[in-house]
Amino acid sequence: MAHAGTLEINNLSKQYQVKGEALPVLENISLSIKPGEFVSIVGSSGCGKSTLLRLVIGLEHDYKGEILLDGKKIVGTSLDRGIVFQEHRLFPWLTVEQNVGIGLLNAGLSTAQKNKSVQEHIELVGLKGFETAYPYQLSGGMSQRVAIARALVNRPEVLLLDEPFGALDALTRTHLQQELQRIWEAEGITAILVTHDVEEAVYLSDRVVVMQPRPGRIKRIVDVPLARPRDRGSFAFSQIKDDVLSEFSDTPRGDIALVQPQETLGANWQFAW
Amino acid sequence: MTASTINTNLASVNESNRKSPLRYLHPATIPKPLRGWVIPALLLILWWATYRFGWTQSQLFVPISKVWETAVRLSSTGELWQSLAASLARDLVGFVIGSLIGLLVGGALGLSRLLEDLIGPTFHTLKQISLFAWIPLISLWFGLGDAAKVAFLALAAFFPVVLNSFEGIRSVPREYIEVARVFAYSRTQLLTRVVLPAALPSIFTGVYLALIYAWLATLGAEYLLTSGLGIGNLLTDGREHFWMDYVILGVIVVGIVGFLLNWIASRVEARLLRWRGRSVAQF
Amino acid sequence: MSAQATVDLPLSARQPASLGLHRVIRLANWWPALRRLLLAWPFPMAIFVLWSLASHYQWVAPQVLPTPETVLTTFGDLLRNGDLRSNGVISFYRVIAGFGIGAGIGLALGVGMGLSPTFKDYVYPLFKAFAQVPSLGWLPLLMMLVGIDEALKIILVAKAALVPVALNTFKGIETVPTRYIDVAKVYGFSKWQLLAKVVFPSAFPMIWNGVRYGLTHSWLALVAVELLASSEGLGFLIVYGRQLYQMDVVMAAVVVVGAVGYVLDKVLALIEARLLRWRREAF
Repeated sequence: MAHAGTLEINNLSKQYQVKGEALPVLENISLSIKPGEFVSIVGSSGCGKSTLLRLVIGLEHDYKGEILLDGKKIVGTSLDRGIVFQEHRLFPWLTVEQNVGIGLLNAGLSTAQKNKSVQEHIELVGLKGFETAYPYQLSGGMSQRVAIARALVNRPEVLLLDEPFGALDALTRTHLQQELQRIWEAEGITAILVTHDVEEAVYLSDRVVVMQPRPGRIKRIVDVPLARPRDRGSFAFSQIKDDVLSEFSDTPRGDIALVQPQETLGANWQFAW
Repeated sequence: MTASTINTNLASVNESNRKSPLRYLHPATIPKPLRGWVIPALLLILWWATYRFGWTQSQLFVPISKVWETAVRLSSTGELWQSLAASLARDLVGFVIGSLIGLLVGGALGLSRLLEDLIGPTFHTLKQISLFAWIPLISLWFGLGDAAKVAFLALAAFFPVVLNSFEGIRSVPREYIEVARVFAYSRTQLLTRVVLPAALPSIFTGVYLALIYAWLATLGAEYLLTSGLGIGNLLTDGREHFWMDYVILGVIVVGIVGFLLNWIASRVEARLLRWRGRSVAQF
Repeated sequence: MSAQATVDLPLSARQPASLGLHRVIRLANWWPALRRLLLAWPFPMAIFVLWSLASHYQWVAPQVLPTPETVLTTFGDLLRNGDLRSNGVISFYRVIAGFGIGAGIGLALGVGMGLSPTFKDYVYPLFKAFAQVPSLGWLPLLMMLVGIDEALKIILVAKAALVPVALNTFKGIETVPTRYIDVAKVYGFSKWQLLAKVVFPSAFPMIWNGVRYGLTHSWLALVAVELLASSEGLGFLIVYGRQLYQMDVVMAAVVVVGAVGYVLDKVLALIEARLLRWRREAF
């Protein structure tokens, strides 16, 4: 079993330059995630939740604050952090097993070890028998399973999931949520899931982090002290779900509010010159 | 969407048409696989009838049988095969040289913005010059022999390969590059395992176009740089001596070669790019 | 770079300073373009210098490589005595006439094959066979049939345009997405409404692509045929210069050939940008 990592985020802030203006996307995020914990981050679009994930995986730089994995500051991307993107991002020119195998390219294992690990992970995500299929032959759900296997094949300490089921139909999504839970329990890995689906977050997580936009901040952290597997129909489940959802209802719709400040920014900008 | 769906959508077919006594002559009554042969067959019958009933005395007119006899004669003396071999050898050498240089240049332009800025504008300007306009320059610099022909063919193959490999490399999706970064790929790994395969369909389009252009250029080179053997020379010979049978035979051979080159390209593509499921080569 | 520094200024301070800051911003936006402009020159300049040195010190014979000044003077002479203009006009007329005829027939053929499966079954196989032979392959046959006059050039140029236009029109119509047809059905479009509002707009980008290819091929074919069999036109001017070993004339004519090709393509690109405005907005 993989070593599960401890993730420590301290006073993390990040801003982008838009038309020369500084646009804060994340402000003062502090979050501590225990080994083997499953944490979800929910928020309306534009709250910076995906940016947070991209910072942790190391695809974005130039931030203030610290991101520590097992007490060490993260530098760029590394094989100890795996990620599943919203689009599966499989390479269309590789078969399923080759796609999973690309994660092991720099793992320093023997070919036999690599093959074994690839095979294990294909089985873990339930795609035995599809090893030699090309991505164009797979459904959306199957592709996302391959992406999960590819992210896990290195045995990373943390698994990051960026709205991994956002583009799937509701039935496939529910099924893959159960699968993800099983996989996470089997691997005993630390997991961070970014999603806009509150039910998904409550179903999977130990804690749900609610973020609010402009700039992205943590509004509240909700514990989900329910035993697994969870029953989506139970009263306790809906109570927690409603609790999280209530955090969204009193704020103005994210996308409306998102457009306006930009417009005023633009207007100021024009006046200024 | 196929033509047939549009058609059924378009014409809520005229029922009365179906019942007319002429319906047995209606084009739609001939079985599908035979339809393609109707016009060629009519043309061949017309050709045969013209000869049989002596509708023309023109010396340009030759019967089908004469073309066949010429084909048999030229192939038994080996003249046809020698010409064909000479043309194909030239085509191949020029194509390979041009494509390889094209790949290098296109790859370099695609990978380095500095090189693109330095060489790109000059390249795009030169590309505008109609291909055959190069021949007089090339003939002065390389003579009239095989060197000039191969240089011209290489030039014909060079342009599409540069353009398409450049485009292919530049349009590799950012998402794929990020995946490579997540798995800590080195620069070489990124190039060989992500950029190259992702750009391959586009590169292939370039190589495919190069193949077509090189064949076109082979003919042009053989017409304009008249020395030695080749299908183009066979055609020119036939024309100068008013041997219509030679010319018709030449046109048919040129067509068959074009068809085979297309076919080979589509086979190679299907093999190399089987992960994609569709073809850029067209028949 | 400088842009974000201004953000912190209070509004009142920004407005009076706007002029200067404006310039800074503009410069920042222009820098990539300026860089491209600057970097575009060293490479052609290096070639030019090499050319000048090679020709001045006569590393190669002046008949093979004239000095840049000679080419420029010749260019001026040819412009002044009207040789470039008259030959250019003739070539231009030929390409427009041939292209117009070829594109017209190609469009009709493509539409026919796209809309009527029956028509396609009859015509497409023969069309494909016809398209396998490059324009230059038909040249000797045409020379024998119609001589080497104006008709030869127009027919060959028309053939060069016909194939890509017909093929792309056919494919464009054939691949109109079913979902658009469904929308038209839902709203009870008539046959003509379906054609005018759905099929043609949807197929248009591809048809236009064929038109652009067609024009490029037309120009290519025209220059080739003028090199081979003509007593006027830009191609002829090139051959003429070549025969007299006047490389300056050849180079001047080649430049004009490139320029005309560029202008023809640019005009179509501009029309395309105008006609296909919806494309970028929609996706």
